Amino acid sequence: MDSKDITQAQVVGALKKQSVINMIRSSLPFIGLIAMCIVFNIITKGSMWNSRKLIMNQVYVVLISATGVFFIMSMGGLDFSQGSILGIASIVVCLLSGKNMLLAVIGGIAAGALIGAFNGYFYVNRKIKSFIVTICTMFLFRGFIKYMASNSPVAASMKVYDYDTTAIKLSITAVVLIISFIVFRFTGFGINLKAIGAGEKAVKFAGVRTDRVKFLIYVLSGAITGLAAFVNIVKNGSATANVGNQLETQILIALVLGGMPISGGAKVRFENVIVGSLLYVVLTNGLIMMGLTTQAMQLIQGIVFLIFVAIFADRESISVIK
Amino acid sequence: MSDIRLEIKDVSKNFGITKALQSVSFNINKGEIHALIGENGSGKSTLTNSLAGIYQKDDGTFILDGKEVHPVNQVEANNEGISIIVQELGTLDGLTVAENIFLGHEDRFVKMGIKNTSAMNRKAGELLAEYGFDRIKPSDMIENYNFEDRKLVEIVKATYFDPKIVVIDETTTALSREGREELYKQMYKIREKGNTVIFISHDLPEVLKMSDTITVLRDGVYIDTIKSADIDEDGLKKLMVGREVTGKYYRADYDEEVSDEVVMKVEDVSVPGLISHVSFELHKGEILGFGGLSESGMHEIGKACFGASYDREGSVTLADGTKINDIPTAISHSIAYTSKDRDNESLVMNQSIRDNICLPSLDELSNKAHLLSDKKLKDFAEKYAKQMSTKMQSVNQFVSNLSGGNKQKVVLARWIGKDSDILLLDSPTRGIDIKVKQDIYQLMDSMRKSGKSIVMISEELMELIGMCDRIIIMKDGKINGELKRSKDMDENSLISKMV
Repeated sequence: MDSKDITQAQVVGALKKQSVINMIRSSLPFIGLIAMCIVFNIITKGSMWNSRKLIMNQVYVVLISATGVFFIMSMGGLDFSQGSILGIASIVVCLLSGKNMLLAVIGGIAAGALIGAFNGYFYVNRKIKSFIVTICTMFLFRGFIKYMASNSPVAASMKVYDYDTTAIKLSITAVVLIISFIVFRFTGFGINLKAIGAGEKAVKFAGVRTDRVKFLIYVLSGAITGLAAFVNIVKNGSATANVGNQLETQILIALVLGGMPISGGAKVRFENVIVGSLLYVVLTNGLIMMGLTTQAMQLIQGIVFLIFVAIFADRESISVIK
Repeated sequence: MSDIRLEIKDVSKNFGITKALQSVSFNINKGEIHALIGENGSGKSTLTNSLAGIYQKDDGTFILDGKEVHPVNQVEANNEGISIIVQELGTLDGLTVAENIFLGHEDRFVKMGIKNTSAMNRKAGELLAEYGFDRIKPSDMIENYNFEDRKLVEIVKATYFDPKIVVIDETTTALSREGREELYKQMYKIREKGNTVIFISHDLPEVLKMSDTITVLRDGVYIDTIKSADIDEDGLKKLMVGREVTGKYYRADYDEEVSDEVVMKVEDVSVPGLISHVSFELHKGEILGFGGLSESGMHEIGKACFGASYDREGSVTLADGTKINDIPTAISHSIAYTSKDRDNESLVMNQSIRDNICLPSLDELSNKAHLLSDKKLKDFAEKYAKQMSTKMQSVNQFVSNLSGGNKQKVVLARWIGKDSDILLLDSPTRGIDIKVKQDIYQLMDSMRKSGKSIVMISEELMELIGMCDRIIIMKDGKINGELKRSKDMDENSLISKMV
């Protein structure tokens, strides 16, 4: 009888310990965000809080496009072409902005969706790993951007500045986030996505058209980044040859900082996007305000990134990234 | 002189809240085949996996030949003289046969940092020849071989170095008759050398035939160790379940007429390299069995009818004229399939029981706006998981932590929830204990009575004979005979058509 009691106590103890670890893990990004805000505000003597509007201004593009990549990573894929998608879509928005603003928005989304479909075709139909495909398209479309915008930036119509208000940018971001949250959390599509990340073959045998889902996700993610391009142009007014440069890395870092397991699957949560993007922007701005050079910043970002990957890697279901 | 090879002392192991082993103690002798039996989740595999370094026990000691051992991985266990053949596939894709055999022991063939591949292949070739598995070539990639051959490679891998203890975990159910005979031979050989076999099986007649001593576990607790000669099947069942097992096991009826109504017509179906020109009809309320050696192509029949085979030719047509060419069409037309490869093809391992059960039924569960509610999913999953009496903490638990039988229950719960009319069950009772087996047989019988049609593919001849209205025997990818349900049918009449 005694030994049974002991094991019972041990079990409860072990369980408590495990759930405590899990709780710390999942709340780490939140704690990190709050801690970051406090620390940087103390170091910069409150100047970070004073420039919050400026900082928020940088969140929108990352946050919107990270939502699309979040879907891709949930099913265990990767996308390195986001920066180039944003660049091409930004140029399209600029070119169309003179004619009609609605047309410009739709054009940007369509351009993004088209590149997403291009990625999806090679990934799904030609069965090439997603990170290879998207690294190729990253260079391919970066080439286009350089060709279009090297001599002089592609300027948008002056009318875009009318849309450069916090209300518009914030509401576009909020709409994207709310719809994405509902799709991810409360539709079969969302459940299928996570399941594909956890075990594609079995999901296929459960009747899910996995190839179709995978293709659609790349199109969707491209379209979302196409919408982000509008916000980007509203903010900047023109597209230079460097438009969207390194956005893909920023997104990846943001998602990982938000606690996203890099192999996707069942442990993915939607708040990863929001907390991660905020954390990323606070971190970079904080470092800039502290007067760090770009080189030193990259160094620190690399270290922080590595630490978070090490914490959140889902070692139980380590599989090849698709 | 001590005959004791292994002393197991107060070994405990928990998985989260599940107490898989509760201070289990018993001894295993030299030169014996020691069977370990118990229902699903009784802790058999947990115990042997802890011994072989796959899991780490939480408490207790293993004393091997008077010396305490606590291997932290399989290679260390091998060095201590303990090897294991696991229940699921234990060989690695992407490596050759030879590399799989010597996995973790490549140092033998490394000189000055360079691996001598030809020496490794030569040695592996010699070993394979010694075992009589000449048809397996050491330099071939392991994935070119089927489940059965890969198991044979595992046998070589686990026994070539004359380990003191070989654990054989539920391997025989995955093997055909020939493969089993081969394994039995190896078991006797190990015993002759004075070494020990720990043998886990759900097949009680096999256990009684093969083992010298039997240890029974129940719910992670040690029950008893008995000499095989002193007990019979009913006695074992009683020890395993903890009460008298009565009632029928298989179907009892013999002269019920099967309806003429054809629900699925399979015409001239071929899958390159696996089956050729297979045609049959499945009737309403019928259990149609497929038997044969495991390489006979019978396992592909289920996949072919489910629209899951690559390069399938021929047609699978339902009563309403629908052609089944892909999985989503099959499922939306009320066809269900459970794979022999449960862990890869039937279940998403690192996913909750809830999502696994709901996956094919998401469309039905969503409301008019295509939205799902958590509560509805949870209720649905709970309802069917409980109907199948799945042992679990909650439906949010990952299926990877469940035992084999409970995993199968989750798979079946999914299709009962979907209310499928045609069930393609490939090895539905593989690696499952008698209690759950009985549940599954009764479930099949009641499904049949309610007008559902079942294709049952199995390597266990007794269950085919016991459950099926008709049995089709496959050989070399073709149909080699058909038998009608009758009282007089015995295993030999099936075997004669299989080989």
